[in-house]
Amino acid sequence: MNIPSIFIVIPAFNEESVIRDVIKEVRDAGYGNIIVVDDGSTDNTQSAARNSGAIALRHKINRGKGAATKTGIEAAKLLEADIIVTMDGDGQHAPKDIKKLVEPILKKHCDVVLGNRLANPKGMPWCKIAANHIGNFFTWWLFGLWVTDSQSGFRAYSRQAAEIINTRADRYDYDSEVIREIYIYKLKFIEVPITVRYTEYSMGKYQRQGFINGIITLYKMIWKLIC
Amino acid sequence: MNFHLYQVVVILVSAFMIYQGIKNYVRGKEGQTLYKVFTRVVVWGGMALIALFPNFTNILAKLIGIETNVHAVIMIGFILIFLMIFKLLSAIERLEQDISVITRKESLKEIKDANQK
Repeated sequence: MNIPSIFIVIPAFNEESVIRDVIKEVRDAGYGNIIVVDDGSTDNTQSAARNSGAIALRHKINRGKGAATKTGIEAAKLLEADIIVTMDGDGQHAPKDIKKLVEPILKKHCDVVLGNRLANPKGMPWCKIAANHIGNFFTWWLFGLWVTDSQSGFRAYSRQAAEIINTRADRYDYDSEVIREIYIYKLKFIEVPITVRYTEYSMGKYQRQGFINGIITLYKMIWKLIC
Repeated sequence: MNFHLYQVVVILVSAFMIYQGIKNYVRGKEGQTLYKVFTRVVVWGGMALIALFPNFTNILAKLIGIETNVHAVIMIGFILIFLMIFKLLSAIERLEQDISVITRKESLKEIKDANQK
């Protein structure tokens, strides 16, 4: 019996200080196929990831979380992954939740599993909860599918889903565009609750999806529908 | 025919812009096309024409069916600007996509080369 090959894709931008710990935690959770995509970092994210034993790819210029995630998924497909899990590189996602994400795909219950932070928002800042609800509304309004957490980057895809999903979004609008692809191609999906760890480090990063980036994300979602 | 200062300025600037465009095209400067020259002549020539013959806008207004010439000019101006912005944003979007595709290909090269061996 063939054991499905599971790859963990981690897009990362200037995460040199935490990426080693993230990779170690993923390994400790039992997953050894790790692809880190350094999205044009100005620090040593790529070499830190490589030295920790991950496959470390690099964008020469910063293209955005969506673009880096897509690169990681393409790499996983080239390496013949059966299941691809995407997660953030700043330590917000708990690798122990990977099992919850891959199990439904292993049991052939669905093609995509979406991590849902709002099922258990303990520790999540209220502004983030509000922003996520707003993001959910616009994702539903523009793309036709209601999900509980449309902005979560912690997701798992079957090989088939990874082949079908074809996104153009490079930045934070990527997460919503995946929802649109799920709707258009009628992919079977489920949502599972995940833990989120908000630390001073992760909340302090300026490039996170704050209010201004949220407005820009919404503009890009609307623009892509027009053109 | 009495010329106002704004008419002199607009005609001089328009003439200079048209001259620059034609000169660059004739000299074969990079990025210059006949289409660009034509656009330059239409846009700047149009402005010079209106500056020389302000009553021309009345003819334009009657043709379109708008009451006053000023409204006609403003509306046409808005439409043209909107179309240009739309075209520009579309071009930027395409370029951004192309940059991402090239960046991705470069980063995946190592894996593709290893697969081919």
